[in-house]
Formats: sequence, structure tokens, C-alpha cells
Amino acid sequence: MGVTEISSGIFTIIKGDTKQLATKNLVPGVSVYGEKLVEVEGDEYRSWDARRSKLGAMVLKKFDIPIAADSKVLYLGAASGTTVSHVSDIVPEGIVYAVEFSTRTMRDLIQLCDKRPNIVPILADAAKPRLYAHIVEMVDVIFQDVAQPNQAEIAALNAKQFLKKNGFLMLAIKARSIDTVASPKKVFKEEVRKLELDFDVGFEIFKMYELTPYHEDHLGLVAKMRPENRNNKI
Amino acid sequence: MNFVTWFGVLAVDEKGTVSECDLFQKDRDELAKQLVNTEVVNANKPPLGFDLRAAAVECGFVGSNEEYDELLRDVGIRAAKEQISRSGTTDMRIIQSVEALDDIDGVVNALSERLAEWYGIYFPELDLTTEPLARFVSKYGSRSNISPDDSLYEKAATSMGAEISDADEELIKAFAVNVCNLYETRNSIEAYLIQIVTSNSPNLAAIAGALLGARLISLAGSLERLAYFPSSTVQVIGANKALFKHLRARAPSPKHGIIFNHPLIKNAPWWQRGKIARAVAAKISFASRIDLYSGKLDESLEVELARKLEVIRAANPKPPKKVKKSGGAKSGSKKVRRHG
Ligand SMILES: C[S@@+](CC[C@H](N)C(=O)[O-])C[C@H]1O[C@@H](n2cnc3c(N)ncnc32)[C@H](O)[C@@H]1O
Repeated sequence: MGVTEISSGIFTIIKGDTKQLATKNLVPGVSVYGEKLVEVEGDEYRSWDARRSKLGAMVLKKFDIPIAADSKVLYLGAASGTTVSHVSDIVPEGIVYAVEFSTRTMRDLIQLCDKRPNIVPILADAAKPRLYAHIVEMVDVIFQDVAQPNQAEIAALNAKQFLKKNGFLMLAIKARSIDTVASPKKVFKEEVRKLELDFDVGFEIFKMYELTPYHEDHLGLVAKMRPENRNNKI
Repeated sequence: MNFVTWFGVLAVDEKGTVSECDLFQKDRDELAKQLVNTEVVNANKPPLGFDLRAAAVECGFVGSNEEYDELLRDVGIRAAKEQISRSGTTDMRIIQSVEALDDIDGVVNALSERLAEWYGIYFPELDLTTEPLARFVSKYGSRSNISPDDSLYEKAATSMGAEISDADEELIKAFAVNVCNLYETRNSIEAYLIQIVTSNSPNLAAIAGALLGARLISLAGSLERLAYFPSSTVQVIGANKALFKHLRARAPSPKHGIIFNHPLIKNAPWWQRGKIARAVAAKISFASRIDLYSGKLDESLEVELARKLEVIRAANPKPPKKVKKSGGAKSGSKKVRRHG
């Protein structure tokens, strides 16, 4: 069995001719949502199923993942924390601000936060970042997976408030949550246009791929704010 | 410019450097309460691009980055827990109770039908159903246990039903006892709902009736949402289920929400129903708004509604003559067939 680090804190475990995506378990011995724990060369890894995680799918789709061990990450749409737990593994010296607006889901997320040293749960509407601007600092990465019709706007508002000058936005766009009948391609095109031109943020998109076969009708993208829109930033 | 952060109220000068720090007490529970305090949440926030972490160190609130992380994480968790426990509100209790009631109804109907079929082997002449049947079987078991002074004695003695063995009797009795228990639970949930809605939303309870009121709150999601619905929406709340049925089975069009179970509407002649429904829905909207803001019973609401109904009844004493576009329930169902 061998292991390679394909991006900071993200690994593939190779066993015979199968490859498994994984992160190094920040809390050894604890499986978060039933994922397999694998020990390789004295370290424990948590296997990461790309079908259950848009970020996981983005890794397998060969996106450059702009998250480092000490990154500060604002995660919008944390749900019960499946993906958040892996981000928490990836940033052992950083911090994850996990925003979720459903109280029922937050109940589960808090169980996760209790067991991990680097997640701050925030029960709030991601469309109103001013309401948590007294909690969240400037971050290196915003990861957003909210599956909402106004997701481009949510991304812009949060980037404006919290994203560092050289920070990255990582976005998962679900076509059907925006338009249930239009073709996904058309929806994606329109969302990209909005990100580039609307909401006076002006994102510059570096990479985008559809997340098939891991997630149908989802687009993943990585973007930065255009320099002229980040002059008052640190 | 003053603004609030999770660790205190700060001010910055024109250059953006921190000029004032009015720090909060470093008590974790207090900080958590502040974090989600409505005033704090809605207060002026740091300007775009402000470095919270650096300011916390600069103001001497924390000594290191590690302390910042550790403290904020702990405070964040405490605050989220506080928000969750606060959200376990009356509305949620009502919603869960209403859903439990519906779940029990589904189950208890199926079990009662089973019991009727099953007990029918032994006493087919018994024409009891639902709760009375369950009570009967759990009390007597075999029909040979019915005492001569019971009105069913004759029927039992001459029944064409099969003899029941001890083992079968024990089994079917235990089954019936469980059904009875479900009926009892159902009744206590109803009593609970009546109590909680009447005490928390007295005006809604007065106008809609406590149980219908509970269902409206449950379908709307909360009393607050119900209060903010326009009354035209109140009229169709709960029509979704009917809509489904309508699409599947060509049942009548669902312009009737659950408020059509209101006795004032249900018992009205069909040509007055639409108008009465509108009046009742408007009053329900109004009642829930009063409940949301004052929670005190205003008896004039019922009086006004009664007066309004009198006017409607007086103005529409007879069914309208057949015109193409009448507002009655009949035209509604015709429209449907065209779609279906
Ligand atoms: C597709 S799920 C996210 C799954 C998660 N990223 C994962 O991989 O484990 C979307 C989540 O976003 C939340 N959400 C949707 N709109 C939101 C908003 N405006 N603010 C905060 N959370 C939101 C939903 O409650 C839901 O839990």
C-alpha cells in the first residue's frame, strides 16, 4: 500500500490497482460519517468519496486546490459537515468557518465541531454576510455549495466582505437549483456571466469543469476577484 | 466609526488603524450570548477588508493566534448551541405534534382495519369499527366472555363466527390493547395541541379553532410565517396534498385549503362558501398577527366575523342563477376537467 500527496493535505492511497482519495485524520480513531479509516506508514487517513463531496470531485477533476495547511476557509452551505470534515483535515494549522442556515442540520454539524479543534460553526444565512461579519475574519478561500438560485450573488457578497486580495473562490453550481427546465450548459453559462460581470465584484475564472460522473449537472469552478475590485483589501 | 466584533466594540481612524477598543469580558458564555444577540448581529460591522484577528491581538484581547482560534471556536460552538436551543420553540412543538398525529392516524387506521378483519373470523356480526372495536376486543377477547347484561350478548351467543382458541384470543387481545393505546396517545396529543395553541395563540384558536389553528401553523412553518401570509394564501394553505390527488386522480381542483374544514365554511351552502372562506381567511390572518405581537385575546374579532357573515348571508340568500362564470364550487370542478 502506498500513499501520495496530490495537493496539500490531500492524498491518494494506492492499493494494488485501486486508488482512493483521502485526507489525513486530524482526530485519529474517529470516523465522521461512516467513511473508512486506513492506516498507511503509521498515519491514519479518512477515505473521501467524491460522489458525496463536490470538493472531492473537484480534486479528482484535477482542479488545483488552493488550500494549504494553514489556510483560513469560509465554507458556505456546510450541511452536516461531510466535506467540512475533510477541509478540517486539510488545514490542521488553519481554521474553517462553517456557515449553515438550517437549524436541524446545524444540530449535526455541531456534533462534528465538538470533536474537532478547527471548525467554527455559524448558524446564519449566507446571503447576509454582514450578519456574521463580526465573527469571520479575512479568509484565503471561500468554498460554497449552497444549491440556491441566488448562489452567484451569495458568492459575490461574501467575497467582497471576507476574501483576501489573493484569495480564491471555489464554487459548486447545481444547475437544477437555478432552473429546473433549462439545459445545464445554458444555466452554467449564465451563472458564469453573472460572476464575471454582475454584483460589482468581477470574478476572474481560472478553471471550470462539470463534475460528472461524480455529480450530475454540477459545475465546479475556481475564481479570483479582479485586482481593481480588491484595492481596499489586505 | 464604531463597529462591533465578537470580542468588543472598536473604532478605526481615517487610515483604517484601530483607534479604540472597548473589549467584552473574556467570559466564554457571555461572549457566546453577545455573538448571537440580535442587537449585536444587526449592529454596525467592521468595514470591508478589516483584519479582525490582527485587531484582537493588537487590542490585547488574545495573546496569540492559537488563543484566537481556540477561543473563537469555543465561543462559536456555544453560540450555535444556544441558537439551537432557542429555536426549539412552541412552533416546533406544534409542528411535531401535528405530524405525530397524522402518523398515528395512518398507522391506527391500518391496524384497526386489520383488527376488524381478524376479529371478524370469530364474531362477524359485531359491527364496531375503530376505537370502539379495539376497546371491545381488548375488554372481552372471546365473545363467550360477554356478560348477559351487555346489549351484544344475544348477537354473541348466536354468532356464526368460529370458536377462538386461548392462544388466538391472547394474541388478538394484545393486538387490540396496542391499538387502544395508540388511540389514547392520539387523544392526548390532540388535548395537548388544544392547550398549547389556545394559550399561545388565543386569537387564532378563537377564530380557526385550536386544532385547525395548529394545522395552519404547522403547514405555514411557524406562527410568524402564518401571520405574514396574505389572506389569499391562507385560503389555500394545505391544498398541496389535494393538488397531488387532483393531478393523480382527477379529484376536484384544490382551490380549497384546509380552512375549508372550518365549520363556518363546511356547513355553509355552496354558493356562500367562497365568500365566507375569504372572510374567515382574512380574520385568521389578522388573528395570528395579533397573537404574534400581543398574544392577548381580543374578543371583538369573533364579533366582527359574525357580523361579516351575517352580511354575506343576507346578500346571498339564494343560489345564483346559472351563469357562465359563477364563483361557486361547481365551476371549480368543471375547470379541472378541462385540464385533466
Ligand atoms: C448541497 S448541501 C451542501 C453539502 C456539503 N457541502 C457537503 O458536501 O457536505 C447545501 C446546504 O446548504 C445549505 N444552504 C442553502 N442555502 C443557504 C444559505 N442561504 N445560507 C446558509 N446555508 C444554506 C442547505 O441547508 C444545505 O445544508
